[in-house]
Amino acid sequence: MAKALFTIIMPIEFLQNQQLLLIFASGIFIALAASFLGAFIVVKRMALVGDVLSHVALPGIGLALLINIDPIYGAAAFLLIAAFSTWFIEKRTALPPDAIIGTFFTATLALGVLLVPNEELFESMFGNLFAIRFYDAIIIVITSIIIFVLTLILSRRLTLSIAAPDLAKSIGAKPDTSYLGFLLLFALSVALGIKLIGSILMGALTILPAVSARNLSWSLKSFLSFSVILGILMTGLGVIIANAFNFPSGPAVILSGIIFFIISLFFKKS
Amino acid sequence: MHHENPILETRNLSVSFDKQEILKDISFSVDEGDVLAIIGPNGAGKTVLFRTLLGFIPFDGKVKWREDAQIGYVPQKLFEKAELPLTVKEFFILKSKNLFFKDKRLIESIFHELKAVGLNQSILNQQLVNLSHGQLQRVLIAWAILRHPNVLLFDEPTAGIDLAGEDTIYNLLHKLQNERGLTVLIISHDLNIVYRYADKVLCLNKEGICFGEPKKALTNEQIRRLYGESAFYHHHAH
Repeated sequence: MAKALFTIIMPIEFLQNQQLLLIFASGIFIALAASFLGAFIVVKRMALVGDVLSHVALPGIGLALLINIDPIYGAAAFLLIAAFSTWFIEKRTALPPDAIIGTFFTATLALGVLLVPNEELFESMFGNLFAIRFYDAIIIVITSIIIFVLTLILSRRLTLSIAAPDLAKSIGAKPDTSYLGFLLLFALSVALGIKLIGSILMGALTILPAVSARNLSWSLKSFLSFSVILGILMTGLGVIIANAFNFPSGPAVILSGIIFFIISLFFKKS
Repeated sequence: MHHENPILETRNLSVSFDKQEILKDISFSVDEGDVLAIIGPNGAGKTVLFRTLLGFIPFDGKVKWREDAQIGYVPQKLFEKAELPLTVKEFFILKSKNLFFKDKRLIESIFHELKAVGLNQSILNQQLVNLSHGQLQRVLIAWAILRHPNVLLFDEPTAGIDLAGEDTIYNLLHKLQNERGLTVLIISHDLNIVYRYADKVLCLNKEGICFGEPKKALTNEQIRRLYGESAFYHHHAH
């Protein structure tokens, strides 16, 4: 019985096909880093920033295709610059981060649509399972693990900086620096998911697990754990659905995330 | 010993934001073990003074802490972000110097400080957002005195604590000051507290209006200058 169920959700071909297995593993590790960082984005009330930041990747992908390098690098460069600019502008002016992205990041989406060749545009925006090659998978898995560990090390300082910046400063922590480190890690984790999830929807992968987890959690630890677990579940399920029905992977992952979110509503403690 | 080596000395301290002067020419000193009350009307720059003393804000003039000064800070409020599901225990652990691993000694100190502020250990598993104002105040004090600083900066909340609760918070501060020889700087809104507990008082309204022992420095004339006529009666009403 259990075996039969397993065959339905995890077709044999999936396990036998090495490429699919690699894609599946990449998805899991992308979700591991992104949903962990997304948890902090949500409690910092930056969900909109997190969501739209991924749009910045599109012109990066366009330029990378133009000069014939891997789109991941173009996306990463643009995202890191955008993350740093967000930090810098927020520090220098009194503008809230969502005002910055409202004016700036949206323009990059427009630019990206012009830069990316038509035949690549759809996949750049909504992801494609088979864009992930062996070499990509290796980079994704290793980088995700590094991002995850660095975030773990940063998380106490970051939480205190979010909860009470003055208390953080009073014990000699530097909220500004932790915030910058956090934004850069976040940008990098978004870049990793660009091929699989696409530049339009990757931001949603960072936010969705966290908002669902918030409904279920009773402490910081449970919140972060649920966020990562839900991120992995929704991405895993999304990849399987995308493969089974030949859907673009980004929408499949995000829609499966919405299912988890709706379920989480029933557990919400008032 | 007195006046020879104060734990804090400020001279001609001035702070401005966007060319607007918030604090002007503040000079005072605090001796070890003393309680300094800082009073003044709303917008007088009391919290700005604290944040300047803590080194958060650029300033002109001189702020000199004695080398062995270790400061614990109790802010007026914690945060408005109820999105963060922090438990009391997790909140304490954030103070750990250890960024990732368990800090056994810190956990033992947490039990010790909870007892010192009169809270039950069962509070550790509650979420911060679910605490009452009085409980949160005590948790913040416990957080500040964790790892035994010798100076406490206490920014009293303007509202939210009833009088009975307020009274015991001061008893608690007084007890900590006696037992640990803490130097306490307290922003207060209640003149009775100043007369009862403070060794020195600093009256602030952008500039320092008075400084000294409460009974000498805080004359009716000074209070009137500080708060205006109507506030004078209000402050004496209770």
